Amino acid sequence: MLTLYGAGIGKGIAIGRAFVMQRSAVEIPQYSIQASEIGSEVDRFQKALEDTRIQLREIESQIPADAPPESKSFIEVYLLMLKDPLIEQQPAETIREKLCNAEWALRKHSKALVDTFDRMQDPYLREKKNDVRQITSRIQDNLLHIPKQSTTAHPGQLEGRVVISHDLSPADTVQFKNQNIMGFVTDLGGPTSHTAILARSLKIPAVVGLHGATRYIRHDEVVIVDGKRGAIVMGADEGVLDRYRERQAYVIRRKRELDELRDAEPVTRDGQTVKLLANVELPDDMRAAQRSRAQGVGLFRTEYLFMNRTEPPSEQEQFSAYSQVVRRMKSSVTIRTLDLGADKQVDGGRSEDPTNPALGLRAVRLCLHEPGLFKPQLRAVLRASALGPVQVVVPMLSSLNELDQVFDMIAETKEELRQRGEDFDEEIPIGGMVEVPAAAVSADLFARRLDFLSIGTNDLIQYTLAIDRVDDTVNYLYDPLHPSVLRLIKLTIDAGEKAGIPVTMCGEMAGDARYTKLLLGMGLKIFSMDPTSIPEVKRKILEADLRRLPDEAEKIMACGDGNAIRDMVVAMEKL
Amino acid sequence: MIEQHIEVINKLGLHARAAARLVKEASSFESEIMLCREGQEVNAKSIMGIMMLAASQGTRLQLKVNGVDEKTAVDSIVRLFLSRFGEDE
Repeated sequence: MLTLYGAGIGKGIAIGRAFVMQRSAVEIPQYSIQASEIGSEVDRFQKALEDTRIQLREIESQIPADAPPESKSFIEVYLLMLKDPLIEQQPAETIREKLCNAEWALRKHSKALVDTFDRMQDPYLREKKNDVRQITSRIQDNLLHIPKQSTTAHPGQLEGRVVISHDLSPADTVQFKNQNIMGFVTDLGGPTSHTAILARSLKIPAVVGLHGATRYIRHDEVVIVDGKRGAIVMGADEGVLDRYRERQAYVIRRKRELDELRDAEPVTRDGQTVKLLANVELPDDMRAAQRSRAQGVGLFRTEYLFMNRTEPPSEQEQFSAYSQVVRRMKSSVTIRTLDLGADKQVDGGRSEDPTNPALGLRAVRLCLHEPGLFKPQLRAVLRASALGPVQVVVPMLSSLNELDQVFDMIAETKEELRQRGEDFDEEIPIGGMVEVPAAAVSADLFARRLDFLSIGTNDLIQYTLAIDRVDDTVNYLYDPLHPSVLRLIKLTIDAGEKAGIPVTMCGEMAGDARYTKLLLGMGLKIFSMDPTSIPEVKRKILEADLRRLPDEAEKIMACGDGNAIRDMVVAMEKL
Repeated sequence: MIEQHIEVINKLGLHARAAARLVKEASSFESEIMLCREGQEVNAKSIMGIMMLAASQGTRLQLKVNGVDEKTAVDSIVRLFLSRFGEDE
């Protein structure tokens, strides 16, 4: 048995006999033409461009209508490439000037283009050479009247097979899908190529960039394509094949179950309702949030607006970004004010390279220090609150004094907006992130003055355990189940309960289904996470029985031994 | 001939989709439309030219437009950059 690794596409597994596509090493002819033949040679070239255009349109019509828009974008890019002066006009000029045949003229220019992209620093752009190769080889095929690679296999011949190819264009991928291939493997290509994007949306398991695939894999032998691990397995015995068949069935079953879960209400077995919200980084993520049926946005990070630029975004620019999210999400959107500093510096770096950025001027500290940065954001958030339910959450609070300053600044901002005659929600709820241990320890004090609390576990863990997560010499100590972390979380949940205000958790821990039951047992009722984690967490909630979990959580809280805690959390998962 | 500085403000830069929109917009004008970045000059009607610019968010470019409809061309291209090429943000 032999396993080879490349870049995996999709989560599925395909098992089938290999169909190795022979690389048709087409000889590009080179010959001279007479001056009198220039016209007809240029016409021949243009006819080939036109034929290619028609074929691309045909392929476009075969892409399923419900495929994501990016899976069709390659066609648009190809069509623009066909019209690109570098491809449409320059070869024609070469035909005229050098009196050479169309194939040779095209080859000359396509080679120069491929070389240019190949020299690019940016790996994304380097991959573009494949687009150039694919489009020009389509034109060459039309010039030479070579039938398309995919049609050289007889109809039906590819059914149930795993296609092994040197390279695969997105267009081939669509055609193969219609011929019911199981999966494919290519020598070339990367995980962000058009072909990869398309394979994902067509749900074809694949491994790309597996150098030598066409050499190592024999025609007709049975291969396993493991999209999740990016592996292909050859020469597997029945035992291994059975294991993969089981996993294949499991993946399919699991996917169906999670799809069914999508529309289920997150209610525990004993009838307690839980709220599942989405963390959103870019307005683009709203699509995923809606698809996962998130009941609101629990954390909208605003940092992206401020990054990779020298000047902060204007109030208007921020307002249009926030209002887009608010309009698209009918239920409540919680906007976190700027959390820059430490690992996410504004371009140009405000602070002079502090030795300890995580403990320095960041988040609310930076905002209070620079009202010119904070106030436009507050104005934009307040204005967005006129369009739908909006909450504000302030990151990295560590003292009540900071809270006073934030309230003052919000009051000033509201007054400015009133003067300007702008609409906003006068009662906009203000919450605080609990991510500094100081805030967790005195959560009761904060809870009295805020409308809600939101636990940011990533920073809370880092600050509590004094571990820099990006330092790989210590990051093994990063432990969400550390007794101190659990106690701080519990303190915060209890403080919220006592003050009668909601407590959300929006760190990575909230989206980790291994901890869902523990957190439920500790009294958490609102979880905010990456939208893709929602189905898994929801499944745990549907299984959970809140009459039993608090006692178990209590036992875990009382235990001081890390290994024992881990075992107990695993056992609790099965409750 | 009109010259104008513009900045790439959309998050994804002049990659794929934005490049396609830009080429389509530029191609709808008669004028010759060039984009320059640090001495490198490309035709804004060429998708490959635009891609070769490798302009990411924050890149400053110089737009040079020459022709009968240069005024409207500059206006609509600047507007396209400012609208972040219709990216969802």
